[in-house]
Amino acid sequence: MLKVTKLTKLYGPGRPALQDFDLVIDEPVVTAIIGPSGAGKSTLLRCINRLVEPTSGSVELDGVDITQLKGKALRDMRRRIGMIFQSFNLIDRLTVMENVLSGRLGYVSFWQAMTRRFPQEDIDRAYYLLERVGLAHYVNKRADALSGGERQRVGVARALMQDPKIILADEPTASLDPKTSIQIMEFLEELSEEFSIPVLVNLHNVELARRYSRRVVGLKAGRKILDGTPEDLTEDMLDTIYGTADRDPEGVLALQGPAGAQAGVAG
Amino acid sequence: MAQAATSTPRRWQKPPAIKSPWVRYGLIAAVIAYGYWAFTFMPVNWDRVAQGLPRAMRILNTAWPPDFSRWQLLYSGILESIQMALVASLFGLLLSVVVAIMAARNIAPAFIYAIGRAIIVMARSFHPVIVAIIFVKAVGFGPLAGILTLTVYSVGFVGKLLAEAIEEIDRGQLEAIVSTGASFGKTVLYGVFPQVLPRLVGLGIYQTDSNLRASAIVGIAGAGGIGNTLSSAFRRFDYDFAFAILLVIIAVILVSEAVSGRIRSRLT
Repeated sequence: MLKVTKLTKLYGPGRPALQDFDLVIDEPVVTAIIGPSGAGKSTLLRCINRLVEPTSGSVELDGVDITQLKGKALRDMRRRIGMIFQSFNLIDRLTVMENVLSGRLGYVSFWQAMTRRFPQEDIDRAYYLLERVGLAHYVNKRADALSGGERQRVGVARALMQDPKIILADEPTASLDPKTSIQIMEFLEELSEEFSIPVLVNLHNVELARRYSRRVVGLKAGRKILDGTPEDLTEDMLDTIYGTADRDPEGVLALQGPAGAQAGVAG
Repeated sequence: MAQAATSTPRRWQKPPAIKSPWVRYGLIAAVIAYGYWAFTFMPVNWDRVAQGLPRAMRILNTAWPPDFSRWQLLYSGILESIQMALVASLFGLLLSVVVAIMAARNIAPAFIYAIGRAIIVMARSFHPVIVAIIFVKAVGFGPLAGILTLTVYSVGFVGKLLAEAIEEIDRGQLEAIVSTGASFGKTVLYGVFPQVLPRLVGLGIYQTDSNLRASAIVGIAGAGGIGNTLSSAFRRFDYDFAFAILLVIIAVILVSEAVSGRIRSRLT
């Protein structure tokens, strides 16, 4: 489905944010990308839907190289790639329903978008997804009136509205408390299975990666240093990815023993 | 603490804003020299002031009481001014939205951005009276010249401030809409518009208010409305009628100020 080959991104002179990154996603499961801040996780996701222009390499979705697309062809590709953001990025002043329906903007005409006259099947789908994430009673509420967890659920519904071939989630839980983080990860896991859509999720919480992903990719300084399963996330591996000092500068984990690992590790 | 007892008290003075004493005292000397020059240059002719004061008194005397007997002329003039202001506000706002999108660095391509900025600079570089003189020459006396003038005035002001509002929008919301595969137009509709709409409404009301004031001024240059009536009243020494016109203009502006202030405070 998704095939990333030798993807490199240079923002300026110096070390590339992403270097010769290869990845093949061919199963509709949740894949976690972990790594310390600045490892290139966000750059990777943004290169896939070209919010960031890759320097070299290719990204193929169902055999089409996204890096070569322009104009309408690029937009048609983007509408099949759902994206979920750390800061939710809902349109604050629009209603929940408008936000969910905005996932169809790649499909409807300008006139339909302006007058909010979306096709009936889009409205049905939006209602279904909002029910699915437990927000159907909020359709006409403004997005900025919602709590963080609720907003991210709208974000998930918006991404699924696109009828995506893949979902990119960039730190979807980083602005949320632990309980709502778990809820969002559960939604991602369930919906990925229900619609059989692969989800590529950046996480800086290793514990969430362990619990909710079937595959884990480790990034460090722009390079892939792990591609395996959650079982591969041994203490040694985490030390390699994060560096012991970075993982636990105050030595808290060592003092608390296994309980420290339970609380999750911020990258 | 311990060593403070042994040494002399440590002094502190605010460091001067301009470090070099030469520049510092040089600037002070320059300001004094400029003040002296400006004062001596000002040609105050006390004879003319002495003559002017009684003349002003005479005008005021003839202006009182204000003469409302030609109220039909006054009414049609003020109505024309209000119509000019409202029509120009509508056209001006519509154009401003387009120009502001062109002139917002974060969404417009570099080439379009340059054009958008150029339009704003041109619209802003002349006072409405000068623009009115040009349009009166181009399309003749009357309200059309006034409408065109006020439209240009609106585009200069609203276009500039709206472009700045667009440049300050939350990039994340824009990114989210772009990533759904929306075209440029639909991205503006969903990613930009909702974020700047309250600002646009506020600017629109402010500009309508502002156009109302300016419509009286541009009329003096021949661009229709109450300003025309006012300048011809002055020309014919009908100071009492002119005074009546001024009172009506003040009343209209007070009302429009109150209304626009009320609406704008409701918005936020």
